[in-house]
Amino acid sequence: MMRRILSILSLLTILVAFPMHADEMPHGFELSNVTVDPSDIASIKRGAKFFATNCMSCHTMVYLRYDKLAQEAGITYEKMPVNVKSWPYGVTPPDLSLEADVRGVNWIYTYLHSFYQDAKRPTGANNLLIANTAMPNIVGAFQGEQIKLDHPIVNMFGGYHYYDVLKQTKPGIMSADQFDETIRDVVNFLDYASAPYKLEQHRLGVWVLVFIAFLGIMLYFLKREYWKDVKRK
Amino acid sequence: MTDKTVQTKQQRGFVNWFNERYPWADFWRKHLSEYYAPRNFNFWYFFGSFSLLIFVGQILSGIWLVMEYTPTADGSFASVQHIMREVRYGWLVRFMHTTGASAFFAVIYLHMYRGLIYGSYQRPRELLWLIGMAIYLMLLFEAFTGYVLPWGQMSYWGAAVITSFASAIPYVGDMILVWLRGDFNVTGVTLHRFFSLHVIAVPLLLVVLVFVHLVSLHHVGSNNPDGIDIKKHKDKNGVPLDGIPFHPYYTVKDLVGVAVFLFIFCYIVFFMPTMGGLFIEADNFLPANPLQTPPEISPVWYMTPFYAMLRAVPNKFLGLLTMAAAIALMFVLPWLDRSSVRSIRYKGLASKIAICIFVISFVGLGYLGHEAVSPLRTMCARIFTVCYFGFFLLMPFYTAKEKTKPLPERVTE
Repeated sequence: MMRRILSILSLLTILVAFPMHADEMPHGFELSNVTVDPSDIASIKRGAKFFATNCMSCHTMVYLRYDKLAQEAGITYEKMPVNVKSWPYGVTPPDLSLEADVRGVNWIYTYLHSFYQDAKRPTGANNLLIANTAMPNIVGAFQGEQIKLDHPIVNMFGGYHYYDVLKQTKPGIMSADQFDETIRDVVNFLDYASAPYKLEQHRLGVWVLVFIAFLGIMLYFLKREYWKDVKRK
Repeated sequence: MTDKTVQTKQQRGFVNWFNERYPWADFWRKHLSEYYAPRNFNFWYFFGSFSLLIFVGQILSGIWLVMEYTPTADGSFASVQHIMREVRYGWLVRFMHTTGASAFFAVIYLHMYRGLIYGSYQRPRELLWLIGMAIYLMLLFEAFTGYVLPWGQMSYWGAAVITSFASAIPYVGDMILVWLRGDFNVTGVTLHRFFSLHVIAVPLLLVVLVFVHLVSLHHVGSNNPDGIDIKKHKDKNGVPLDGIPFHPYYTVKDLVGVAVFLFIFCYIVFFMPTMGGLFIEADNFLPANPLQTPPEISPVWYMTPFYAMLRAVPNKFLGLLTMAAAIALMFVLPWLDRSSVRSIRYKGLASKIAICIFVISFVGLGYLGHEAVSPLRTMCARIFTVCYFGFFLLMPFYTAKEKTKPLPERVTE
């Protein structure tokens, strides 16, 4: 009996220690981190330009239609593909206004790094994060071509990243660093697109907190003054 | 006669005129300046005031949101984005409202926990507890109808799942389902009626319930961490020796608490309004799509304990009954506790262990209700559900049997 309890307990420990996730990638795949900065307007503007030239042939950005920064970068409602009746492969490209909120910035950054050549796909490309994605490899020209390794050497313990699984076969027009920076700009822009108020929100937030802290200190002394006469009767 | 004395005389004249026609001065005395609260209120006694503050905040931010919100299936999602982007400070008003919803539950749960540990539901405060529970139930309904309004994926599918509970009722379930949704599916009709309930029906009811809750509280008087009656020892004017006027003592004390609360609240509003998907789920940034079910449908955190119970029971109808029973048991709490003392400070070991198990179970269920189902998690959810029910159902026995500590005559520091 005791033995049985022990074995159940140890099984439980194993189950708790190694949770299984039903992710699209095998266990251990980790998203790469990108730092977005709502105050880096130059980067957001570069990202917006990139979006207008490369992404907007398929993706809309409807909630940014009245946004000045976006309009200046060429993202206008008339130019968005809002009235396309049928898309290749039957998949309508999603609107990206809120993509950063839906997926998170790290996900987008990794996704745009994880395209690889796949002859089985009609687009000729596949992606690590969305298996059999209908999106063609738009970034390939910049990043270069990648293939997925059949037997990648991945760390058994700890996670692995897209660059552990993919190998560049043909260089693109950008160096790896340039490409990383460009994608960071795009992600920064998408983050801006999902919450254009964020910079103002953070700036205002600091003042609000300072005010409340000051008020709190004042109120604390007020309370202490009043409570001086509360004594045990 | 100087100008100043003339003015005060005139003012007094007006105040007298007013008080002869309306009992404002009586009200002020009865509920504030001569409402004697025990002087030993601790940290746990802040949450009642906080919830009142949030309630007012929700109504105010709600009024402003309704000015720009469109309650139709076609316009709802876009109108929320319009508020967030084009309405000046619309994002602030909306984040105050979304954060307020979660803050409301955080505060209410702590308020209820206070009642639980200090026996505030015991005689003569049974009715006060019942009114409070009615407020909690209405709040759940208010939060649910409110979560549907942005018409995102989680709004839609949450509404679909929760209304579908009705179909588990034998024989009349399908009829009730259509009656609730106003359509054969969750549609714009459902959205529109939820809007009506969320902005008019339930808030009105809540205002009445909160008022009745306060009237009832001020009639029986506040409990305290010692759970003893402060009215036993009064001075010659009939003022409880351990009581202090609510105003100014507790108004200034609560204001300090309010500042701390607002600091945390505003930190969330300005720096992490989605709370990593806990206050606003990531899937709710996708417009509602009746043709595509999200991979995981889970309610917002404050409903997850009950959702976990529902999923822990294999049969849908029985699961629904379990969930209803879990809330119903909270209502009858005053009649389950047979202890001769109120506060956990003087209760026996059994009560202390029971409350620990209860807290672990409730928090555990809350966590599990948020996670995807797995065999291990389902097993844990079942254990926690049994513990939850055990806490309430065994209460008449362990509270009556255990040895309690002697009560002090007067409140302790």
